[in-house]
Amino acid sequence: MTDLSMQHTLSFKTVKKHYFATPLNSAITVLLAVFTAWVLWGLFNWAFLDAIWGYGKNEECRTHEDGACWSFVATRWRIVLFGLYPFEEQWRSALACIVMLVVAILSCVPVFWSAKRLPTLWVIGFATFYILMRGGVLGLTPVVERDWGGLSLTVFIFAAVCLLGMPLSIIFALLRRSEMPWIARTMALVIDVIRSLPLLSIMFTFAIVLPFVLPDWAIGDKLYRVIIGYAIFFACYQAEIIRGGMQALPAGQEEAAKALGMGYWNRVGYVVLPQAFRNALPPTINQFVITFKETSLVTIIGFFDILASGRAAAGTADWSFATIEMYVFVGLIFFVFVFSLSRYGAYLEHRLNVGSR
Amino acid sequence: MPDQAISIRAMNKYYGGFHALKDIDLDVDRGEKVVICGPSGSGKSTLIRCINRLEEHQAGTIKVNGIPLDDNVDNIDEIRREAGMVFQNFNLFPHMTILENCTLAPTLVRKQTRQQAEETAMSYLERVKIPEQAHKYPGELSGGQQQRVAIARALCMAPEIMLFDEPTSALDPEMISEVLDVMVGLAEEGMTMVCVTHEMGFARQVADRVIFMADGQIIEQAPPGEFFDNPTSERTRTFLGQVLGH
Ligand SMILES: Nc1ncnc2c1ncn2[C@@H]1O[C@H](COP(=O)(O)OP(=O)(O)OP(=O)(O)O)[C@@H](O)[C@H]1O
Ligand SMILES: [Mg+2]
Repeated sequence: MTDLSMQHTLSFKTVKKHYFATPLNSAITVLLAVFTAWVLWGLFNWAFLDAIWGYGKNEECRTHEDGACWSFVATRWRIVLFGLYPFEEQWRSALACIVMLVVAILSCVPVFWSAKRLPTLWVIGFATFYILMRGGVLGLTPVVERDWGGLSLTVFIFAAVCLLGMPLSIIFALLRRSEMPWIARTMALVIDVIRSLPLLSIMFTFAIVLPFVLPDWAIGDKLYRVIIGYAIFFACYQAEIIRGGMQALPAGQEEAAKALGMGYWNRVGYVVLPQAFRNALPPTINQFVITFKETSLVTIIGFFDILASGRAAAGTADWSFATIEMYVFVGLIFFVFVFSLSRYGAYLEHRLNVGSR
Repeated sequence: MPDQAISIRAMNKYYGGFHALKDIDLDVDRGEKVVICGPSGSGKSTLIRCINRLEEHQAGTIKVNGIPLDDNVDNIDEIRREAGMVFQNFNLFPHMTILENCTLAPTLVRKQTRQQAEETAMSYLERVKIPEQAHKYPGELSGGQQQRVAIARALCMAPEIMLFDEPTSALDPEMISEVLDVMVGLAEEGMTMVCVTHEMGFARQVADRVIFMADGQIIEQAPPGEFFDNPTSERTRTFLGQVLGH
């Protein structure tokens, strides 16, 4: 048994104790080490030493078997990132993504952590994103949603889901702990039902089934129906996270606010929610990470998100061999976003623990 | 203006099937200081919390400053503005500085400007002798300091009545007197006070009347001299024997 509480410093003694305790243990260690080294060397060869770089080398790549064809990325990256978005207008798509990236980074700065600043930042950022993408004003040529694709579509869906889902989750959480039992119970039931459904089935329902049920004027664009469905799904999970944060508050907090004569919304807005969000920060960030990753499900219902545009980029005859390179490229984009977000979450958790007041 | 700051008639309170308060009649005059004591579980907290509707009573009437405490939300809000409350566990808002704790309700509820509210807050923080802590967070203060802030925070709403629920019983012994001093000062200025406490020295010094509760009922009430020297009920005598330690 290893002592989990012991510090894992990599001294000679601990290495010996943990990895070379018995002959069998030593043999396994050596074998695994050799195997790992062999895999890593192979990967390194494939990705760097034997790889083909540079623009438009698909003929070379076709005959070249052992290395990666980064020429695919160099040549086709615009399709992966921007999908069907008109070629001359793709700078708008890129700029729009950068705007949202800046918004995301600014959201990590404590100065913006207030009930007014954070929503303002996101609404402004999102509006800028939409205007850049959609055009039709300020001399920008209109580009309809159907032609959006690639990274900017993924970012759009993610941002819209968060922007809609966050306030919705707060409302759900408040209804869930309403003093009127039947409201609280109905909300609990709705939350539990939606959480027990797979996201994909909700997306399908909103994309394909809902048009048969809704009156014509309420159908709207398929993209927005999917976003609304996803936002409701997000809100149900996030509502439970916020509720957890609220339950961690001592009852005395709300009582003190009541005793000071503060009304319901003031109590919620100034006393309960700020503390609940603080308590719920690590799982909230985790929820963002999951939500970003799962946007790729929209491919299945026919949206041209980054995964689909990647497939399209590697889908033509002259690049059909570059599927792996495509997935590595798309995967890397997801990885950079998700990894930095979860590192940030870990940092925050640490910071809140250290400075907990 | 009615003479009575608080007027309670035939009030009953149940927690589910449990009869927590039984036929309570209680009048508190303007400027009167009332101390409530009694064994644990006797309903002292429940009684004081019914006065500002942190708990709902089921029968009888409660009037605060002549305003009836019923389901009318405006009345409840008004009563809560008239009656400040200090809790055993301070209940300061940990995510706000001391100054923000004191200005939050005045700006939101009394619609004071921030500058007004801050000036008032600083004057009360000076009165409870901790103006230098204004920009710290509650977690950085000692228990005694936190409780003094809690008193200042309640006073910032300019209440006519102050309710105290065992304000010193969560404090280390050496901090009790700093809080009691503030309360004595408040009493001397003529504040109407209802105070659940076992600090009998305080009761003797400032109370106009001491009330003894047991099993959800008021057993005995009398001015402190009479109450401590000639308690009429056997239960009061036993209780006093315990808290006074002889
Ligand atoms: N929320 C509640 N639900 C059910 N019973 C309660 C609740 N709050 C209090 N009680 C019960 O009501 C009775 C009176 O409680 P209360 O807190 O008023 O007593 P107290 O005199 O303040 O006691 P202490 O000196 O321990 O603070 C107790 O028996 C308690 O168990
Ligand atoms: Mg009590």
